Amino acid sequence: MSILEFEGVKKTYRVGDQEIRALAGIDLRIEEGEFVAIIGPSGSGKSTLMHLLGCLDTPTEGRMTVCGTDLSRATADELARMRNREIGFVFQSFNLLPRLDVVSNIELPLIYSDIPARERRERAVEAARKVGLGDRLSNRPTQLSGGQCQRVAIARALVNNPRIVFGDEPTGNLDSATGRNIMEIFKELHASGKTIILVTHDPSIASQARRVIELHDGLISREERT
Amino acid sequence: MSFFVALQIGLREIFAHKFRSFLSMLGVVLGVSSLIATMALTRGIEEGTRVFMQQVGGLELVNVVPSEPSSRMFEFANLSHGITLRDAHLLRDSATLVSHISPEIGHGMAVSRGDGVNTERRRVRGIYPDHFVIGMHGLAAGRWLADLDVEHGTRSVVIGQSVAEELWPGTPAADLLGRQILLDQTPFEVVGVLPLYEREEDARARKLGQKPRPRRWDPFRQKNESVLIPFSTMFHEFRSGAFPENSMESLKLETLSLRVGNLDHYRATLGQIRSVLDLSHRGVDDYDLETREEWFDRMEASVRAARLSGGLISAISLVVGGIGIMNIMLASISERIREFGIRLAVGARPKDIFWQILVESMLISLIGGLLGIVASLGLIEILKMISPTENVPILTADGIIFSVAFAIVAGLVSGLYPAAKAAKLDPITALRYE
Repeated sequence: MSILEFEGVKKTYRVGDQEIRALAGIDLRIEEGEFVAIIGPSGSGKSTLMHLLGCLDTPTEGRMTVCGTDLSRATADELARMRNREIGFVFQSFNLLPRLDVVSNIELPLIYSDIPARERRERAVEAARKVGLGDRLSNRPTQLSGGQCQRVAIARALVNNPRIVFGDEPTGNLDSATGRNIMEIFKELHASGKTIILVTHDPSIASQARRVIELHDGLISREERT
Repeated sequence: MSFFVALQIGLREIFAHKFRSFLSMLGVVLGVSSLIATMALTRGIEEGTRVFMQQVGGLELVNVVPSEPSSRMFEFANLSHGITLRDAHLLRDSATLVSHISPEIGHGMAVSRGDGVNTERRRVRGIYPDHFVIGMHGLAAGRWLADLDVEHGTRSVVIGQSVAEELWPGTPAADLLGRQILLDQTPFEVVGVLPLYEREEDARARKLGQKPRPRRWDPFRQKNESVLIPFSTMFHEFRSGAFPENSMESLKLETLSLRVGNLDHYRATLGQIRSVLDLSHRGVDDYDLETREEWFDRMEASVRAARLSGGLISAISLVVGGIGIMNIMLASISERIREFGIRLAVGARPKDIFWQILVESMLISLIGGLLGIVASLGLIEILKMISPTENVPILTADGIIFSVAFAIVAGLVSGLYPAAKAAKLDPITALRYE
């Protein structure tokens, strides 16, 4: 059983009286443990595809199965539950809560799965250590460098031990050396058995993945495995 | 998300914007404090009214007074002897719901000290000892009249404070016992002095050294100007001469005072009194029952009106406080759209967001309510200072609990709309929001 299964997935948005077809029919299977990069020019639908894969939205048409659950017509609560348990996000702009310290930011997913405070903290501290931020636990995001912020975001993505980790241009806001460091972490995660999906327009990032899916006008135009 | 976590998030948010939170609380603080103060004030007025009602004899007091018989009964009017001592004894034996009975006859007399100084004409009343219970009298010194005084027709007298002050200005009540006064030249011995009856506000004004406000009508005048002697003494010394053919039993009374034993059976008691009197008066309606009902109802109605209007105005200010919270919450959520996007992305359900906002606005109103309690204490002190002679406001736990509960409800209601608005956010749009 594939961890992500899309069959004839279409997504249309309505803007005023205009219909915009973001995805025109996607058939896609991603197996557990794969390292996938999704590329394509802007407007190709790669962000929309990531939002669907990441259970932030449901398709207009077609079937979408995530971790064995059919989410084609899922409610907001069902999607939230899936995001909480099985999916971790790493964003280009980090998306940390500026008023919370490192530990509180990392433990954020855990407060929505009703884990007791003590365990939340232990797991958050452990996740922070794993990304090398064991000495920065009570710092605020504003006191950290970009690379450190992205490590916090990765720790947050991992703290609930999800099976899938998404990166949306995760190195986009970082200098190349720091970006390489972050990519190393993703590779380690892949090696440890996580399913990694990166959305990027940077060919050098995409080339580090084992499978590259290229989108064009809402359709998969090319696929490449290495 | 657990309730406790929501509380933590809410508190952090409130403390992160101290000034803004304080502003949004301010409406609630003022609303709660004025609501508590209003309730304390009306409670004070209620208490003052209650004490006053008791001092004038309470609802339990019923007077039987003579009246013209109706035209229908006019022909038969002389079948009845009018209100007499016999009625008093019949009521005592048959009207079981009446607990105390005192007949009363009055006589205007020259009242002076034993040495003939300070003469003044006053109404002297002959009564039974029950009179003191019915009138809810106290004692400043000495004793009330007793059954033995009536039995033996002693020349004992109990006087009110105004009389004592008139006869022996500035003398303590205890020193008056045993002194002589003359009633139409007949010597009597003072055996008891009644306390001074006055309105609460007059008492306070006196303590503060102010002059009591003059009033058109002093409900305690009769009690303070009491000159009370045994009923039998009154009859034998002063009344029998005028009507030698009358026995004491058939003397027409001015008033027959009764005390209702239990207010729960008020109506039944009045019914009993009427049955006994109708029988002894052979159906002639030559008497009236004077009750305090209407008077007390009117007083209670005005207290209720004060409570309602005060409560309403404070409640409105609390609602305005709630609107203030809603305003700030709406501003705050549009500022925090990205935060909600992040929370949604990591797995918050829309209802988690909903609760977070609702708990936050309830916390604001709760904290505002607690500050309001503190503020109300100050407010009450200020009220006392502005108007020291009015009834003292009485702070009750009910008032505080009600006000804070009302504040929390106001916070809850005003949080509903912002919370629903935040919960409707789409995670993708919220994440992209700059």
